[in-house]
Formats: sequence, C-alpha cells, structure tokens
Amino acid sequence: MDETLQDLENELLNLRPRRPSAALQARLEATLAASARTAPPGRAAATPLARTWQVWLLASAAILALVAATTFWRTPASPPAEPVLAQATVPTAASAAHPVAPDTGPVSESHYRPVAAASVLYDLKEDDDVYLSGQTPVRRVRYRYVDTYTWKNPATNASLKWSVPRDEIRVLPASFH
Amino acid sequence: MEAAHETKPWKDWFAAYGPKLLLCARQWTRSLADAEDVVQEAFVRYWRHQRGLPGDPQALLITSVRRAALDLARREDRRAAREEFANGGLDDRDGCFEALPGDGDERRLEIEAALRRLPTEQREVLVLKIWQEFTFDQIGALLGIPPNTAASRYRYALAALRKELEPLCHG
Repeated sequence: MDETLQDLENELLNLRPRRPSAALQARLEATLAASARTAPPGRAAATPLARTWQVWLLASAAILALVAATTFWRTPASPPAEPVLAQATVPTAASAAHPVAPDTGPVSESHYRPVAAASVLYDLKEDDDVYLSGQTPVRRVRYRYVDTYTWKNPATNASLKWSVPRDEIRVLPASFH
Repeated sequence: MEAAHETKPWKDWFAAYGPKLLLCARQWTRSLADAEDVVQEAFVRYWRHQRGLPGDPQALLITSVRRAALDLARREDRRAAREEFANGGLDDRDGCFEALPGDGDERRLEIEAALRRLPTEQREVLVLKIWQEFTFDQIGALLGIPPNTAASRYRYALAALRKELEPLCHG
C-alpha cells in the first residue's frame, strides 16, 4: 500500500466513533434490569425485535409439529398386530364393537394399544351343493366382512382406526331329505 | 477484544465497545435512531444469551447487529427499506464520529461526507477493517464474501476516499 493510502488510514483511525446516546444507555439499563428481576439468567423480557423472533420460533415449532403428526397418521410405523377379535365364528349381519381389555402397563407417548375390534357382515352367498371326496354332500357358504380395528394412545388420547375386507368360506354338512 | 465475563458490568463493556457497534449499525440502517434500536437488540441478545459462548464476542455482536438491521429494514418497509439498505441510507444530519476540536472538525465533516458517497459494499468493509479492526478473513466470513474480495473493496474504498479528500497538510 502506498504512503498516501497509509496516511489516509492513519487519519481515519484517529476518528473516534460517536458514543451511543444516554437514551440508549437508559433503555439498555431498563431492559437488562427487568430481565434480571423477572427471569433466570439467560432469559428475560424481550425487546420488540426479540419478540418477533420468538413469534417466528413458535410458529415454526407449530408447523413442524403439524407436519410430524400428519406424517405419522398417514404412514403407520408397522402393520397392525393381529388384534383379538371377539367374533368371527358366527356370521351376523349386525355390526358390533368388541372392546379388548386394555393393557395396564407403562404408557409412552408413541405407544398405541388396541381397544376395539368390530366385524360387519355385508354379504352372504350360498353356492351350489358339492360333494367331498365324491360322496359326502356339503354346502359351501361365502361370508364377506369388513373388519375394523381401533387403537388408542392413552397418553395423548389420540386414536387410530384400520378397516380391512375379509372373505370367509365355510363348508357345512348338508343333508338331503 | 476481551471477552465479557459474567462478573464484568455490562456498562463497562458497553462503554468500551458500544461506539464501534453503533458505527457499524449506522452503515446498515436509515437513521441514528434505527441504529440505536439495532444495537440495543443485538447487545441485549448477546448479554442475555451469548456472552458465555466461546469465540470472539465482537464478531458475534457485529453479526447480530447486521442481522437485526436487515430484520428491521424488512419489517418497517420491505421494498423501500431494502433499497435504502442497499444504498447505505446514511442521513447527512447524523454524524458517525465524535466532533474534533477546532479546524479538525471541518476535516471530520469532509471525511464523513466522503464516506457517505462510497458504495455500501466498500464502506462496510472499510468500517469493519478500520474501526472494528477485523481481518479480511473475518470480514469475508461476516459478509459472505471471499477474503480477497474484502481486501479489494477495502483498497477501492481507500483509493476513492483519497480522490475525494485533499491530503491533510501538517504543520
């Protein structure tokens, strides 16, 4: 750097930045004193700009929570375990919910437990008589159900329902008179 | 810069470094009042949450000042304020430096006027180098530019000032 620039640098260095106003000092004193009174170390009443930051942080956290919840509901972590059905042996056209006795073990935020299972028969069809081994006459009946299972998270009271179609074919002994 | 310790009163710390912070804030705000708001925001944030952090507190504070200045500009008047941010927006009425005794103050006014006419990107580098005593690496990190670019802007700024200002005659 040439000499004139060096002189200019030195001249600039001799200028002293102006002091902040007494009003700013007073504001700082009030803000920092308030924070010392009202909050533990490291936390205190916010300035307007800080409040804006807090609002944005809260909004971001809310959006993240919403996205996480939506993702969870859409994609269950694993296929549901085989629930205990209270029926399935006797066909019926009536729908009924059969609560399963809840587990009373420790509960975590992400733990869902089966609380109900229902089976709705919506179609029944009897096929023509057939003969087993060519001799024993039997009737073949097709039952069509929709099974619905319900899980609940005791910690959050959130619930999850899963419905699945099911066909059942029964072979009943037939007698001809 | 010496680290601010828990035991050191904020007033002592602010008396030593407040003027430098205000000078920097002044480069990125439209008025002295805005600059003081920005310094308040940055300093309070630092004193409450960041003074225990390792590293250079001055760099932390200047970064915070710059961010607060940008936030303020966006909040108050998005388009116009950003333009003013880009153009410096220094107000002639607000001096950035302490008055000097006698004839020296005329020279100060000349320098301040010449500084105001510098492009913002050169002026901010000059201020950070001369009055914050930052290295070009630090300036580059703060402004998001390569250190060589910071060094070039600094040289351009000094050259432009030299063109504008009559050399000071001593004696």
